[in-house]
Amino acid sequence: MPAKITSWTETTPKERSPPPPERISNHRWFTERMNALYQEMRSELPLYIQKTAEEKMRNHSLAGLAKEQEVMGLMLGGAFTHDGRIYAIVRDVVTTNLDASISSVRFHEESMEGLFDSLDDLDFEYSIVGWYHSHPGMGCFMSETDVGTQQGVFNLPHHSALVLDPLNHELEAYYIHENRVKLRAMGIYWDEYQDPYRG
Amino acid sequence: MVIEITVRNAENGSTLNMEVEPHTTIEDIIEGAAEFWQKEAGAYVLRRGKRLLKGQSTVQDAELKNKDVLELIPDPEGG
Repeated sequence: MPAKITSWTETTPKERSPPPPERISNHRWFTERMNALYQEMRSELPLYIQKTAEEKMRNHSLAGLAKEQEVMGLMLGGAFTHDGRIYAIVRDVVTTNLDASISSVRFHEESMEGLFDSLDDLDFEYSIVGWYHSHPGMGCFMSETDVGTQQGVFNLPHHSALVLDPLNHELEAYYIHENRVKLRAMGIYWDEYQDPYRG
Repeated sequence: MVIEITVRNAENGSTLNMEVEPHTTIEDIIEGAAEFWQKEAGAYVLRRGKRLLKGQSTVQDAELKNKDVLELIPDPEGG
């Protein structure tokens, strides 16, 4: 018997200022075209990734490189509006054991409960704003499988896919618009007292 | 006996209330929610608390209770 929907609630992004320009940077793994897009859109980026979340994704991809495997995880944060535009913030990432090879990746079915533990350990009310995965030595792009995932799952305007190549030290972000893959401008931000070189 | 459950969309916090019967499967619930939110049903799993609900199991098998809150979680595939 199909489930019968009786009512629903909807959420809309809250109004909030994005991180200030003095606490935003590009990423040293950005490709040339990601850097160009960052410079062009620096004052109104659609995606901000917290420094610690970025470190986790980068280190995860490097760990996968050592095993010659792709890695993957979910990006968590929220969607917000400011001056009439929507943007997403990634505050943390979660992952679990993977079924992975050099060219494919997904969560290990028997390890999903580890993913749930990580979600429950977060100290903020999360939304899943996208996903990340790696292409070890293959460069950054969206494969046919990746596009299918993006279209079927991460199809809201603020959703992004982040792809890292830990061998070539490359990083790009993408989104789908009108069934076409587009490059997503993004920046790394840090909290006010997070700069380890301050003072 | 019909019970009412809530499914939370982990991508934006929106929710659905659903009426289900003991023989409704978890797959039925996922398909209903995915269709409503225009998602690919096969790329999602449902959880109740820390427990993964198996797609083939029924509401009865999964011991779902009236007013239970489930969460729809993406299960993406990369290549």
